[in-house]
Amino acid sequence: MAQSLTGPGGRAASPRFRPDLMPYLFILPAVVIYLVFNLGPVLASFVLSFFKWDLLTPTAEFNGFKHYNFILNDERFWGALSHNFIFLGLAVVIPVSIGLLLAVFIYEIRRGRVFFRAALFLPAIFSGVVIAYVWKWIYHPFAGVLNPALELVGLGAFTQSWLGDHKIALYSTFIAYTWASFGYSMVIFLAGLQDIPTDIFDAARVDGANFRQKLFRVTIPCLYDVFTFVVTLRIFTAMGVFGVIYILTGGGPYYSSDVIDIYVFRMIGNFEMGWATAAATVNTMIVVCLSTGFIKWREWRSWSS
Amino acid sequence: MEFVSSDLQRRLRGAPFYAMLVAATVITLVPIIWVFASALKSNKEIRENALALPQEWRFQNYVDAWFGASFDQYFFNSIFITVTSVAIVLFLSSLAAYSFAKMRFRGNQMIFFVFLIGMAFPLSAKLGPLLSLMYELNLANSRIGLILVYVAGSLPFAILMLRAFFQGFPQELEDSAALDGCSRFQFYLRILLPLSKPSLMALGIFVFMGTWNEFFQALLLINEDAKRTLPLGLNAFQDEYFTDFALSFAGINITAVPVIIVYIMFQRNLIEGITVGSVK
Repeated sequence: MAQSLTGPGGRAASPRFRPDLMPYLFILPAVVIYLVFNLGPVLASFVLSFFKWDLLTPTAEFNGFKHYNFILNDERFWGALSHNFIFLGLAVVIPVSIGLLLAVFIYEIRRGRVFFRAALFLPAIFSGVVIAYVWKWIYHPFAGVLNPALELVGLGAFTQSWLGDHKIALYSTFIAYTWASFGYSMVIFLAGLQDIPTDIFDAARVDGANFRQKLFRVTIPCLYDVFTFVVTLRIFTAMGVFGVIYILTGGGPYYSSDVIDIYVFRMIGNFEMGWATAAATVNTMIVVCLSTGFIKWREWRSWSS
Repeated sequence: MEFVSSDLQRRLRGAPFYAMLVAATVITLVPIIWVFASALKSNKEIRENALALPQEWRFQNYVDAWFGASFDQYFFNSIFITVTSVAIVLFLSSLAAYSFAKMRFRGNQMIFFVFLIGMAFPLSAKLGPLLSLMYELNLANSRIGLILVYVAGSLPFAILMLRAFFQGFPQELEDSAALDGCSRFQFYLRILLPLSKPSLMALGIFVFMGTWNEFFQALLLINEDAKRTLPLGLNAFQDEYFTDFALSFAGINITAVPVIIVYIMFQRNLIEGITVGSVK
């Protein structure tokens, strides 16, 4: 009775006797697909890392921390993890700085902003597989272009086996990663710059600030929240790097460029699901702690200053 | 007079920035141009001089890759999987986002939060159980299975983005539509979706790129050659024809060109999709 009195326009006005099912119907298909094919497997990975697996099938046999015991004593796990951290350390500095500088340059010019933004962002649109193969051929010992190019400009001393030397393979993959990722930082910084009121920059110019002073005293402080976002994005991509390294080196030579996601993938391929899920769980906890810890720290810092 | 000189000054001030940008653009684009040029060379030319431009344009490499190395099949698979995924993501996420943004119901905040959690996990967090699940459901090695996984992966971001956008819609719009006897589904279909075209475009392009390029999950879930997407095909091809450089370059381009075309056509939409997260 109450329902017909309120009419269709006054839905929220009076308490209902029959629960309104429409909102649930609208979210239902998304919820089901999301739970079954995304969040469910994530939670299952955590739970099942404590159970024995029979090849691809989890069993009901509780295994305690055995899988964790194995991976935490596996030097390859620690090797892979340390490479992720090297990647992360480089990733929050190099592509982010390049992206910031290019964004500032584009912001400073008048004509051609759209062109430079589009051209410099181009590598970021490609699949990791395409990026990796472009660089695989650049680095290639016979057909590659980097070594002949170095010789051409008189830097022949720097020619080397870019992907075959265990001391530099990881860094060679990082160059490919940088090429494909500074564009993300750049477009996000540029969007952030365009949100800053221009009179702040005008005031700095009137006060006679030079480029460096403007960058460090005005631009970077104004982009505080954008920095938080850009660096958080780097935490996720650096800790989850897979395709580029998988194709360029496969984690080699001698595991010198191995990373967690390749480690997990290899474990699954060997049907060692217990170890794979345990390693994935440790990695997940690290990534969640790093990203939320970083965001909280940034919030606390901006709040306390 | 003063106007002119200040204009000149301003231009001179811009010169170093232009110089830096041009240098950066050249460094960024040279590898891409080189890959395109190399795809037109013969194997012999590539081996003898990797730096040289093609002596004559050999489009045969593309023909060989397309027909001889099953890139036609990979291309079809990529188109089918990507377009279907984007369509499903747009439909389901807009439906759910409308509910989250505009309807009051028990658990609204909590269920939305459960979606948000999905963005905090690295990809590898779900892979093991996902693979067993797909075998269990007979969805491993299946294009439909891959589509479901891609849709599930894109939903959190899509719902977050559209919910924020729908929240900006005035409540009066919905109220007056309701007074005219418009049901909520009709409102969604006839009014909300048409008014959200720019946001749906940005989201659609963003999801298209991510799905077209995806490699890790596809590598895990697809083994059969006939079901491979382009990134998978490129990877498998490499193992098979290890020394066929020219064909490999053509394969890279076949994988890259569709995203370049979409990028050129929808550059603004894509960048909007990327930067929307940073604004709030």
